[in-house]
Amino acid sequence: MNRQPLKLIVLMILLIVVSCDEPETVVTNIVHADGTITRKIEMRSLQNKFDMEGLQVPFDDTWTITDSIEVSEKGDTTWVKRAGKLFRTVDEINHSYKLDSGANKSIIRSTGFEKRFRWFNTDYRFAEIIDKKMEFGYPLADFLNKEELGFFYSPESIKEVYQNGPDSLKFRVFGDTINYKTDLWMSKSLVSEWIGIFSKLTKSKAGDDLSLQSLKAREDEFVNTLTRNEQNFDSLWSGGIMLRELIGEQNALKFKTEADSAINIVTNKLLLDFKEYSVRIIMPGKLTGTNGYKDSSEVLLWPVKSDFFLTDSYEMWAESKVPNTWSWIVSGLFLLFVLTGLVIRIKRKG
Amino acid sequence: MEKSDEKLDRVINLLRNTKPLLGSTVDIEREVINEISKKHQNRLVISDIIDFLFGWAYIGWVRRSLITASVLLVVFFVWQQGIIIKQINYLSSQPVIVESEARSYLTDFSGNKMMLFKLFGNKLPAQNVTISKKQMDTLLESVNDLQTKYKDLIDLIEEDPELKKYIENKLTELNRTKIKL
Repeated sequence: MNRQPLKLIVLMILLIVVSCDEPETVVTNIVHADGTITRKIEMRSLQNKFDMEGLQVPFDDTWTITDSIEVSEKGDTTWVKRAGKLFRTVDEINHSYKLDSGANKSIIRSTGFEKRFRWFNTDYRFAEIIDKKMEFGYPLADFLNKEELGFFYSPESIKEVYQNGPDSLKFRVFGDTINYKTDLWMSKSLVSEWIGIFSKLTKSKAGDDLSLQSLKAREDEFVNTLTRNEQNFDSLWSGGIMLRELIGEQNALKFKTEADSAINIVTNKLLLDFKEYSVRIIMPGKLTGTNGYKDSSEVLLWPVKSDFFLTDSYEMWAESKVPNTWSWIVSGLFLLFVLTGLVIRIKRKG
Repeated sequence: MEKSDEKLDRVINLLRNTKPLLGSTVDIEREVINEISKKHQNRLVISDIIDFLFGWAYIGWVRRSLITASVLLVVFFVWQQGIIIKQINYLSSQPVIVESEARSYLTDFSGNKMMLFKLFGNKLPAQNVTISKKQMDTLLESVNDLQTKYKDLIDLIEEDPELKKYIENKLTELNRTKIKL
């Protein structure tokens, strides 16, 4: 049975306030051979409302900003805001991320640029990195294989192509397997994070039965209890029933505050206030490597979703090469020189 | 007319019979020798340049070093190009997305997010939950779809007493496994 609609119903009930004013944002990094980066942000919204506090990616008055309106064939109006700026180095971009007061200020983002001289070519590497949120979570690679990981990180459009293509049944099953495995990953990471934080908070006060090692040894038991009772977890936890089940009545009474603090920290990490967007990178020269998805003009694309950087840092990277014309000429002349010398020697000897 | 023709013939004959005076034969000899030696010198300069440029070919260790350097250069080039071709081929085999999809794929209704909403539903801060229009449309479509499927399912269960009994048993079993409040 398809579980997705059921989940959506649950979500609908849980959504307290629904807002549709989030602009669809695409950030494009055009990397130049000299290390400068032209950064362009395009935001599309059905309302002419682009609050700086609600924006996914930071920009300010120093950017060149243009506003326009697009009307579709159906007559729908879309407001488009475009901002662009040339950054001399990645440090300038990182600085702007540090000063971010927008919707995604709670996540730590950075960019990196490397340029390596490799005689015939110069290698370039550019990356946008989002730091992981959880300290004790499990890497997703522990639960998904390479193929599943590729599917998990792929844009929805690619998933749809697979799931509606000739192998639709295979990919639908594949999608369900990934959902099942990621549920397990999330549960285990959640429990592991709670254990890590709880044991930190109770370090000096608790006995051996609440040490990190003892709690870790019971992790699977905790996960089972959690998954069995996920529907009414909230009420069981707030009533103290879940905690008593996990750490015993005495400990539950003694360390209720610490346990609640730990669950609050975990909750804040998991339900972080994050607005999705997508990143595009255009590299100089010939593209040679990436973990993104390219279009026909070799523009790379990554979706940025909160699940992607929970337990692992999410690095969107691209590598390219630019041939050094002068080094090709120098090498050619050198080879010609050596070859001529040898030919002359052979001729004179002969 | 005849007189002037005769005069012209006489002058020509006179000039033909008059031999040039060779006052400085030594100078002429020197000029000739210089011209010959110049040609010889030119040949010597080219040969010198070639000897100067490619003289290393006769020094064993220099010759070996330059050959080694050339071979290494070629090997490095082949290796580097091989890697680049491999990387480019790998990238070519990856799925290509349509440019317009850059904005349209953001439908983050992943399963594990739903699990979090279920677990921590009441912890969601009011006025902080935002979803896009596309997500809202997907949600409504799914609700409609679910309602239709749910109705069909209920009809199916109601029509089959055995199935109804089986489902009731399963639900009872499921409730037993949960913590008793």
